[in-house]
Order: sequence, then structure tokens, then C-alpha cells
Amino acid sequence: MNEEKVDVSRREVLTKIASTVFAGLVAPAVWPMTAGANEALPAPETAVPTLPVLPEPQPDEDPLLRMMRDLQRALQKPVDQRRWVMVIDLRKCVGCHACTIACVAENKLPPGVVYRPVLEEEIGTYPNVTRRFTPRPCMQCDNPPCVPVCPVDATWKRVDGIVVIDYEQCIGCRYCITACPYGARTFDFGATYTEGTPVGAGLVLGRQEAAEYELASNFEYGQPWSRHDEASPIGNTRKCHFCLHRIERGLLPQCVTTCIGRATFFGDANDPTSLVSELIARPNVVRLKEELGTEPKVYYLL
Amino acid sequence: MMRRVLYALAAISALVGLWGLYSRFAHGHQDTAYGSYVVWGLWVAMYLFFTGLAGGMFIFATLDYLFKVRMFARTGRLSLFLTLITLGAGLFHIWLDLGHEFRIWKVYLQPDFGSVMAQITWGYTLFGLLILVMLIMSFRPERFARWLRGLSAIGLVLAIFLSGGVGALLGVQAARPFWHVGLFPVQFPFFSLASAAALLLFIYGLFDDAANEHRSQLLWTLAILTVVLQVVKLYFLWADLSQSLYGGVPQNVAAVTTLLFGPYWWAFWFLQILLGGLVPIIILTQRRLATRPAWAALCGALVLLGFAVARANIVFPALSVPELEQLIGAFHDARLQFEYFPSPVEWAVSIGISGMAGLVFLLGRDLLPLTARHRPTVASSAS
Repeated sequence: MNEEKVDVSRREVLTKIASTVFAGLVAPAVWPMTAGANEALPAPETAVPTLPVLPEPQPDEDPLLRMMRDLQRALQKPVDQRRWVMVIDLRKCVGCHACTIACVAENKLPPGVVYRPVLEEEIGTYPNVTRRFTPRPCMQCDNPPCVPVCPVDATWKRVDGIVVIDYEQCIGCRYCITACPYGARTFDFGATYTEGTPVGAGLVLGRQEAAEYELASNFEYGQPWSRHDEASPIGNTRKCHFCLHRIERGLLPQCVTTCIGRATFFGDANDPTSLVSELIARPNVVRLKEELGTEPKVYYLL
Repeated sequence: MMRRVLYALAAISALVGLWGLYSRFAHGHQDTAYGSYVVWGLWVAMYLFFTGLAGGMFIFATLDYLFKVRMFARTGRLSLFLTLITLGAGLFHIWLDLGHEFRIWKVYLQPDFGSVMAQITWGYTLFGLLILVMLIMSFRPERFARWLRGLSAIGLVLAIFLSGGVGALLGVQAARPFWHVGLFPVQFPFFSLASAAALLLFIYGLFDDAANEHRSQLLWTLAILTVVLQVVKLYFLWADLSQSLYGGVPQNVAAVTTLLFGPYWWAFWFLQILLGGLVPIIILTQRRLATRPAWAALCGALVLLGFAVARANIVFPALSVPELEQLIGAFHDARLQFEYFPSPVEWAVSIGISGMAGLVFLLGRDLLPLTARHRPTVASSAS
């Protein structure tokens, strides 16, 4: 238990450092930083965590800054008035897989568990050939087929639209995995990347030292989940949750911040001034398998 | 001699199973071959197979207790015993398949009855309790005749709905066009009845004392029933596959193509259709052969083999088709494959559970007055 508390506190410190570093990196030209932007916002109805301090809006600023501002504005509202959506511009995606790896690192995903693979396809025939890259997070469907099949209510759609899993409630029947039309749920078999690797005592890359990192807690759903004794999330279904633990602290999902081409956008679709609201109103927006009536909240720009 | 061979076979199978169970409990699901795409494997197929057998077998018990069919007089107790064993084997399989098997209590205390899985878990539990009560009562049939009749009626409804419920478990999933067939829940009770008829053919063929004094007629009746139900099953199969191919929904066509021409095409054509379907149909329509115990037992075993393969062929092909085609190469891991063949541990567990079920049957047959003519001997024809 004490170890968990140490983990939490370390996490909070890292989050603050990361926020500061992030702000410093992306906005060197917009000093001075002020807290004025936050002060202008209406008082929240629920407790809002300390949010990253953002620079004043600038023309042609990095879209990440605008999305963070959108995010902070949304966090001032009650949860049930938020509607998180993700927009992925396929014309900008270069298939670098940085989002996939960032997600693996953020959520400390074990082998066989993936939240955001990038689908690759070749289109056309020579000499008119191109490649399309389609990142595929959980679609956070408004009518999620994975939810009603669960025999113990371990998965549900939150009021802000994110479909979540209660790891302690999940019995691991995997019925929800078969129900998802997007293959967005995977099962945690309890494997580790370091298993079977050389021990290399005293070396950073040796099994013992690497396993320490691998077995340390992740912080999905805002609480530590360490990998020990077959405890959850081992034996559970797992899925993308739009980095709920990050967005509730004013940080964008890890896949969004990591995208080198700024191809992934995130925000509150209930806020007409948000960037995502502008993007999903365009005529070149599509969603995957719309014919199934799942009403996905991940939009693709073609 | 045959009795010893059967005991030895069952015991060896059970021992193999103990190794599988050790691996399952010591290493969780790490030694299994299913993954996050083909997410259900051999154990789920065996769950469908055994619970299907249980549903069908109970219907045969009602021929004695509820419908009082003379041909099946005094066979009810054995049928109930077989129902209990096969139900146990099925539920044991699915319990081991859970990621957190010790959280099963949540399905009882915190269920969501909107889920078909919760519904059938409760249904099978009630069904199991009902069979247990009926089995105990069946040892005093003269005292509990009315109770047995009433409970049989309730159990009959449960057996049909639960058999259908397993079909619905798969059928409700619009994400899998291969399963999402309106008639799925309708087909499954027929499959259950057909497999139960085959199991009775096997048992009555193998054990002289298991059947009543009308053994020869019983075998012929079961042979006709098996043939008719096999033909119905083949018709359902034809309807499903041909409609899928004509319909042309890509995911559905891919699943059917995998079934017919995929890596395990031989399992469908040779084991399910030829050995499990056509060969028994040809033999069992010959009265001279069908009434000979050894042939009846052989055909029963073949039909059961065909049904076990058929259950696997319902589960695996649907899961072998990517929900999005490019998922195949999107992220590489042994658990993210669309091909599946059961691991040694999965085989061991299934062989073990089958062996344990066989052992319980043999012990029950030897120690309990289960049969109409209780004599613990093996048919001379079988030995």
C-alpha cells in the first residue's frame, strides 16, 4: 500500500514536470506565460485538478495548445456536459507508429495488448500507388456493442462518452472482445517483455532491472495497477480509454501529444468553439462501420 | 477386459488433465494458444459441445419421466446421470476459460441480466440443481413420480431454452456476421438432441446392461433419430453456408471460406461431414447394422466426434476473420494472430475433463443402481 502511495506521488510529480517541460517546449515564442487564461474561466462545479499553465492564444499556434485550452475549458464543465471525441486526419498520418508506442509506454501495455495499432494498406496499382495509415483507437461508441454483453456490468459508457472497464469487476470471459466490431479490445494474458531475456545482473538492460520497470504500476483510470500475482489487469480485457487519467488532469491523450504530424485531434464536441467541433463539421469526415449503428466517437478526415 | 480398458483410458486421460490443470492454475492463460483475436478456443468449443449434450440428454430423460414412452422406460435415471456429468464437464471447461475464474460469484451476486451470458449462467445453475434433485428422486421413483413428472416439464423448457441460449450467446453479435443468424438459437436444440442421441447409441451399444430389455429396438429407434437429426443438421448447415455465400457479405464469406477451404478444411470435410455425418447416416440406416451393439457404439462415437468438431467449426472460423482487414499486420504478437490451433495444455485439459467425466460415469455405473437392468458388466459384443 505504501509502495502504491509512493508511486502515486512520484506520478504526480512527473506529471507536473512533464506539463512544465511540454509548455516550455511548444511555446517558447509566446512568453510571458500567465495564469490569466484560467482565471477568466467560470468556476467549476466539481473539483478541478491543478491544470497546466498555458500561454496566451496566438495566431498559427501549435494545435496542441489550442486543444489543451479546449480541454481545460471542458474540464470546467460538469462531466455530463462533456463529449470527448477524437479526430484523425488520414492525410497527415505518415504511419510512424509513434502514437502506438506512446500508448504502450503510457499505459505500460504488456505483450499482446495494444490500444492503438496503426492499420496500413496499399492503395492503387503502379504507377499510381499510395499508402494509407489508419490509427485505430477504441471508437468509444455511443451505442457500444461491447457493453450490453458483459455479464457483470464491468464495462460501461461514462456520461462523458468514454467506455471504461472496471478491472476489479471483470471476470475475463472475453465476450466483449468478440462483440467489438473494431477489434479494439485485447486480453491481458499476463505476459512480460522481459520474460526469457538474459538476466545481465547490474546492467540497465538486464532482465531484473528492466522487469522492475515493466512490473511497476501503470495509472489507468487514475489508480495504480501493478503487475503481480495474476492480479488485475492480468486476466482482464483492456482497451483504449482516451487516456482518461491524463485528460482529467488537463493533459491530452498520449497519442495526441506524440503525433509528429499533428494528425490526431482531441476535444469536447459539446463545445462549439473547440477545434474538434470545427473538424467534425467538415464534409470529408467518415467513421468506421457506421452501418452497424455503433455511433463511433472517433472521426477520420479523408 | 473391456471394463478395465475403459477405466484405464479414463484414468490416463484424467492424469493428462491433471497436468493441464496444474499448468492452467500455475501459469494462468499463458500456456494457451488463443489470443485477443481468436479469443475463444478449444475450451469454449468443448463447453458448447458438453452443455449441448446435457440439454439433449435431459430431453431423453423426459421421454421416460414426462412422456412415459415405453421404449425408453426406466432409462431416465441413466439419462439424468449423463446430463449431470456432461453439464459438469461443459461448465468446468468454461470456468477454466475465465480470466478470473474465482470471480464467478459476481455473475450470481452482481449480474447484468441484459447479458445473454448472465442469463445462461443462471439458467445452467438452476438446470444443474434441478437435475441433481431429480436424480436423487429418481432412486425412489414410486414415491416421487409426480414430482419427477413436474420437474421434468420445467427441466424440458429449461433444456430447450438453454440449448437455444447458447446459440443466442453467439447469435446476438452483429459484429460477427457468421454468428449473427436469426436461426442460430433455433438450430442449437436440434444439435443438442442429435448429439445426445449419439451418446445414448454409444452407451447402449457399449454396455448391455445400460439399456432396458428392449435394447435392440432402442438402438434402432436411436439410430433413426440420429439419422433424422443429422439430416436436419446438414440441412441447417447447407442453409447457413449457402445463404452466407450468396449474400456476399465479405466478413461472412471470409468465415465460410475459412471453414470450407482454410487451414483446417480437413476437419470440416473429413471429420465433421464424412466421418461424423455421412458414414454414420449410411450405417445407421441399415437396420441389420444399427441394431448390432458394436456398430451402434461406433456410429455414436463418430457422430459425437463430428459434433465436437462442428462446435469448434462454429467458434473458430468466425473469430479467424479480422474485424478490420489490416489488423493482421498492424501490431505483431503471438496473441494477435488470426490463426489458431489449441496448445498442448488446452488439449490436456479437455482430454482430462473428458476422462474425468468418463471415470465418473464408469464409477456411477458400477456403484449406483443407474440402469434399468443393473448389472455391472460390459456387453459381450463390445468385449
